[in-house]
Amino acid sequence: MISLQSVNLGYSKKPILKDLTLRVGKGEFLGVIGLSGAGKSTLLMSIIGNIRVLQGSYQVFGYELDSISKMQIRQLRSQIGFIFQGYNLVDRLSVLNNVMSGMLKDIPLGRSMIKLYTRKELEKAHEYMQIVGIDQLAMKRCDELSGGQRQRVAIARALAQEPKIILADEPIAALDPKSAIQVMDVLRKVNETYGVTIISNLHHLDFARDYCSRIIGVASGSIVYDGSAHALKGRALEAIYENNSSTESRLDMDSIVDKIHDAVQKTPLKADDIELNELRVAA
Amino acid sequence: MNPPKDKKMTSIPITPESLQKKASPFQWQTILAFVILSTIYLVSWNDTEMSVGSLVDGWGHMRSYIVGNPEIEGSNFFPPSFILYDINRYLQAMYETIEMAIVALFLSIAVGFPLSLLASRNILKILIPGRSMSAKLLRRTMYSGAMLVANVFRSINEIVWALLFVSAVGLGPMAGILALAVHTAGVLCKLLAEGNEAIDPGPVEALTATGASFPKIIVYAVLPQTMPHFVSMVLYRFESDVRSASILGFVGAGGIGFYLFDKVRAFENADVTTIIIIIVVTVWLIDRLSAVIRKKFI
Repeated sequence: MISLQSVNLGYSKKPILKDLTLRVGKGEFLGVIGLSGAGKSTLLMSIIGNIRVLQGSYQVFGYELDSISKMQIRQLRSQIGFIFQGYNLVDRLSVLNNVMSGMLKDIPLGRSMIKLYTRKELEKAHEYMQIVGIDQLAMKRCDELSGGQRQRVAIARALAQEPKIILADEPIAALDPKSAIQVMDVLRKVNETYGVTIISNLHHLDFARDYCSRIIGVASGSIVYDGSAHALKGRALEAIYENNSSTESRLDMDSIVDKIHDAVQKTPLKADDIELNELRVAA
Repeated sequence: MNPPKDKKMTSIPITPESLQKKASPFQWQTILAFVILSTIYLVSWNDTEMSVGSLVDGWGHMRSYIVGNPEIEGSNFFPPSFILYDINRYLQAMYETIEMAIVALFLSIAVGFPLSLLASRNILKILIPGRSMSAKLLRRTMYSGAMLVANVFRSINEIVWALLFVSAVGLGPMAGILALAVHTAGVLCKLLAEGNEAIDPGPVEALTATGASFPKIIVYAVLPQTMPHFVSMVLYRFESDVRSASILGFVGAGGIGFYLFDKVRAFENADVTTIIIIIVVTVWLIDRLSAVIRKKFI
């Protein structure tokens, strides 16, 4: 579905991500990990054509991103669902209308202007809301929901697009551990039920290990790890969480621990202790 | 992530002495600003020949104007005239004035809202995305164009527009409606554009990522967010339109202003008071009604 061959990506001529080679197939659950600023979000945004391809061949669904037309980019985007850290829902609209906004490409302009939906559209929306467990909240306004519920609305909205791929940019970074588990469970369910490919940036190593079938490690603008979740330990972890801009050639375990700590601290989740212990065991 | 460093390390270390100097409210910038503002005010006061003395001296004239000339019947402002036949006429004219404001308001939204989308930089970026030179140039052209139109509409007063429209469509409410609509469209464009630019870009980003078209993004991601601001501004302009409409009659553009102007010129001041009371009460009622509607749209 996605295929990158020696790709450089960036906004201007200076690449942010260098020499990427990557293939993602149907039905994979891919976790992207790395320090803040390593280029995880850039990698995700590039899949919907938001970042310039400076070099190499970048194909999504067979479209060559380097030479894609505006029409094609809209077609491409309509097949990709996107989930954001800050949910990006319209707070003043109902859950139903937010979910429906994912279906907009199939609703004629006239009906979408007055928010009039057919029975079939409503049935679909109900199915997606049921999958993520928010069907009983359909008529509530989004500003009445908790963070975890909002993120599940966002997943239902992404499903309403009937996407082939769902991209999730730090979907659980702003959630408490319990809601985070609920959201990740929903993503797994979506992955298994519909065979949708999921690519998610994650700050939490634990979650990446538990849920992802494959993990990509990004450090300083390149991919430094690509493999299964259980093979990710020791040297591989060091490579991901080592800050290449620092002059130290060899990092001791403590500084790696510090760096992971820093990366995790950005979020309210308190799972970092478990991660650190696991890391010590691995070392 | 390292702890954020102070970008500007100040050369003078902070001590109790330097702190007293730094934290003093009498900084030279503050004093300079005060001097400049006072100068502007005093020069303007002087040039416009403002004088407290004249007001005090003329107080008696105002009093005798309000009391009226006892020899001319009805030249006194108080008590107001209570002839039922007249009040009925005035109320009908007030009703017409409100109708004018309603029609003008809908026309001004129809023109002002689309214009406000073009006058909002973030909305233009949805309409014409991209960082290319041509996209930037097109965005800037549309933005400046919309701003220019809105500024022309807005900076010409309703009365002046009314004079122009009276010469086009003749005397009567229609000229007044058009005058109000054009001026209000300009004002609404500016007010609504401010609301549009203040929206959270997140939902727009999300809908853009689904490949939704421009009008759908406006309806699902922009309008729901600006709704409280939109309603608030439109109601405010409705109130202003009713106020403005009540003087458009001065130039023959319909509404209660016709009677007001007529009675002022004829020194029938008791009637003037009656008309003013009707206008004040109406505006007050509209204000109350707006407050109720506004509460529903949080």
